Amino acid sequence: MAYTTFSTLSNDALKEPMFFGNPVNVARYDQQKFEVFEKLIEKQLSFFWRPEEIDVSRDRIDFLNLPDHEQHIFISNLKYQTLLDSIQGRSPNVALLPIVSLPELETWIETWAFSETIHSRSYTHILRNLFTDPNEVFEDIVNNNEIQKRAIDISYYYDELIHAVQFMQLHGLEQTKVEYINLQGKAEKITLRDIKKKLYLCICSTNALEAIRFYVSFACSFAFAERDLLEGNAKIIKLIARDEALHLNSTQQILNLWADGKDDPEMAEIALECFAEGREIFLKAAQQEKEWAQYLFKDGSMIGLNEQILCQYVEYISNQRMQAIGYEAPFEVKNNPIPWINHWLVSDNVQVAPQEAEISSYLVGQINSSVDSEDLSTFEL
Amino acid sequence: MPILTYNGQQYPLHTEKTLLENLESQAVSVEFHCREGHCGACRSKLISGKVTYSQFPMAYLRGDEVLLCCSKSEENITIDAP
Repeated sequence: MAYTTFSTLSNDALKEPMFFGNPVNVARYDQQKFEVFEKLIEKQLSFFWRPEEIDVSRDRIDFLNLPDHEQHIFISNLKYQTLLDSIQGRSPNVALLPIVSLPELETWIETWAFSETIHSRSYTHILRNLFTDPNEVFEDIVNNNEIQKRAIDISYYYDELIHAVQFMQLHGLEQTKVEYINLQGKAEKITLRDIKKKLYLCICSTNALEAIRFYVSFACSFAFAERDLLEGNAKIIKLIARDEALHLNSTQQILNLWADGKDDPEMAEIALECFAEGREIFLKAAQQEKEWAQYLFKDGSMIGLNEQILCQYVEYISNQRMQAIGYEAPFEVKNNPIPWINHWLVSDNVQVAPQEAEISSYLVGQINSSVDSEDLSTFEL
Repeated sequence: MPILTYNGQQYPLHTEKTLLENLESQAVSVEFHCREGHCGACRSKLISGKVTYSQFPMAYLRGDEVLLCCSKSEENITIDAP
């Protein structure tokens, strides 16, 4: 089952499952098995933005005036967001494109990952402005234990899937001549069903990342802006949040389509079989986010947000997200402990008109209207 | 005027407004984010009645679920919070 960039086999994409069917050949969108992915692409493209459009120059002053423990909260949060988007900017492409079978889903995955790369670039835009040399901040992302703890968990499911798929596409699944050595270095007999399970868990983990982990970090970014601090950063995060709402929707769609038996029947069985394991992924993500909250607020809380409130929000958002994919709400909390976040998450008030938003490139491009008499010195009548 | 029943409470239903706008005009607090059918925050349970969507509902909906932000109704309708 080697990957081919253009399969000459004539196949009907309408009869293919989302993943592990025939590889996509003609990129055609006139017919779609799941129209929603085409709608997501259109929406994502209509959301297009560039980090340079947002003026973050005032943020530096705000940042320097923050007390140390608030600087720690802000920078740690930004580091974490950078990590999440570093993973999301490449992993969906590497993990999912080799196994996708529907043209609209393939294009959605590419569109999705592309928008994550915009997010990654915008963190650099923010950091470049805050620090003369942001090197130290970036380097800490791989050295910081607290960040690393979670990075391992997030990348684990992607790596498991990628590794198994690469083996399958290179050697096939007979395993008579070459045996499969898993990521732990042990020989393992794998079947297509095992790889599908890895895919299922990977999508669960991705959904937990985008639907829970990201939102916890958004809460921190917006908490500063609620106090009129670091507003340029919040404007960027607002655009990122608008994109993430689409991304998490797509992974919810995939999980629900599987669970409801609307796609590959084997995936419906796997969804049942891995129900408990999927739930564990979400609960573990919630637990890690709570531990992260503890780390963020270790030196003190900030106005409007502390460890306790953030932990309640983790529980609230986990309830919402887990219910959306058919799980019972695991936590007691019923109401949003930080209702003000909705003001930042409502996407219809994201301002995009250049003259109304602070778009730096728009200002750079304007005509210089100051005229000196020198400028006219070469004119003759 | 048709009636919108939400969590057992009855409200007048303005057919030209979305269900979310109807509830908001009655000062009922409902969860919402995107207001254009893709985030799924306003997903609710449809107990009885019918809705039409003014935009393609992008969030995943099971048989008895509706998105309040982009749906309207012409007739009596009963909805419960999720």
